Amino acid sequence: MQLSALPLSVLLSTGGGIIADLILPAFILIILTIAIFKKIDAYSAFLKGVKEGFLLFNDVFGSMLSMMFAINLLRISGLLDFVAGFFAQFITEIHPYLWAMMLFRPFSGTASLAIMVDIFKNLGVDSFSGIMASVIQGSTDTTLYVITLYFGCIGVKKIRNSLAIGLVSDVVGILVAILLTFWFYS
Amino acid sequence: MTLFWGSMILSSIVFGFCTGKISLISNTMVSVGSETLEFVLPLIAVTCFFNGIVEIAFQSGCIAWLEARMRPFLGFLLPDIRHDSETLGYVASNIVINMFGLGSAATPVGLKAIQGMQKHNLDKTVASRSMITFLVLNTGGVTLFPTSIIALRVAHHATDATSFIPFAVIATFSASFIGLIVDRWWNHR
Repeated sequence: MQLSALPLSVLLSTGGGIIADLILPAFILIILTIAIFKKIDAYSAFLKGVKEGFLLFNDVFGSMLSMMFAINLLRISGLLDFVAGFFAQFITEIHPYLWAMMLFRPFSGTASLAIMVDIFKNLGVDSFSGIMASVIQGSTDTTLYVITLYFGCIGVKKIRNSLAIGLVSDVVGILVAILLTFWFYS
Repeated sequence: MTLFWGSMILSSIVFGFCTGKISLISNTMVSVGSETLEFVLPLIAVTCFFNGIVEIAFQSGCIAWLEARMRPFLGFLLPDIRHDSETLGYVASNIVINMFGLGSAATPVGLKAIQGMQKHNLDKTVASRSMITFLVLNTGGVTLFPTSIIALRVAHHATDATSFIPFAVIATFSASFIGLIVDRWWNHR
C-alpha cells in the first residue's frame, strides 16, 4: 500500500516544505486583513501583546532551569542510554538508536531530534529506521517540556496526575508509530 | 513533582558516579544556568512576537469566531470553564495552530489559555480539572504538518520526504485520544 500517492503528499514532496512555509504568512495575512477591514488599531494591539509576552520570563525561567538540570544529568550520566541498551538487547528488530530516541522523546525534544538526525546520517533518511524515527518524532509532543512550561507560567506546584497521563499518551503514540511502520514498510 | 524531579537527579548522580562520569556531571552544574538562558530567551522573544499577532486576532474577533465554531466540542472537553468564552477561544486557537505544526505560535496562545483557567482555579497551587485535560491534549500534540521533521528530511535529501506524515498523524491522534480517555476515566469516574 503506497500512501505516498495521496495528492497532498505529492504536492508537498515536489516542493519540499513550500506548503509548510506558506502557512504562517497566510495566517498573518488573514488576521491583519480582517483587523484593518474592521478598523482595529492593529499596531497598538501588537505592542500590547508583545509587552505581555515579556512578563512571562520571571515564571518560565525558574521552572525551565530546574527541568533542564535534571534532564542534562539523565543524559550526561549515561543513564538513559543504559536503559535504551537494556531494551535493545531483548528486541533487536528495533535499532538501539531508536530505543534511545523513544526514551528521550517525552523528556527532551531537542535530544530526540538530534538522535533523529544521527539516524538520518548514519542509517539513511529513507531507511526503515529513518522512516520510523520520523513517525515517532511526529507521534507526540515533548510532554515534560509542555507541563513544565505551562504550569511554571502560572505557578502551579501540585500537578496531580497530568504527567502520568501525558506519559501514557506518549507510550500509546510511540507504540502506534512503531506498529504502523512495521505494518507498511517491512 | 519534587519526587519525580529529585529521583531523576539522584539516580543520575549515583549512576554517573559508578560509571566514572562525575566530572561531566559537575561541569553540567556550572553550565546549565547559561544553557537554560540561551534556551529561554529566544523562546520568550518568539512568544512576544506571536503574542502581538494573537492580540490583533483577539481584538479583531478572529478568536471569538474560532471559539464559536468549536464550542460544542470544547464545552464537552472542559465543562468547568464552559462559560468563559475568552479562555475557550484561546484553547480553540491553540488546538488549531498546533495542528498546522506551528509550535512556536501555539505556545503563547496556550499560555494565555492556562492563565485564563487559573482565574477560575480555587487553589492556585494545585492543577484544576480543565488544566489537566488541556495539557493532556497538548502533550499528545495533534499535528497535521510536522514542519520541522519535513524540513530535516528534505535537508538530508530524502527521496520521499513526506510519506511518513499519514502515519505520524494517526499516531498523534491515537496518543491524544487515549490521553483524553484516560483523563476522563482517572479523574472523573
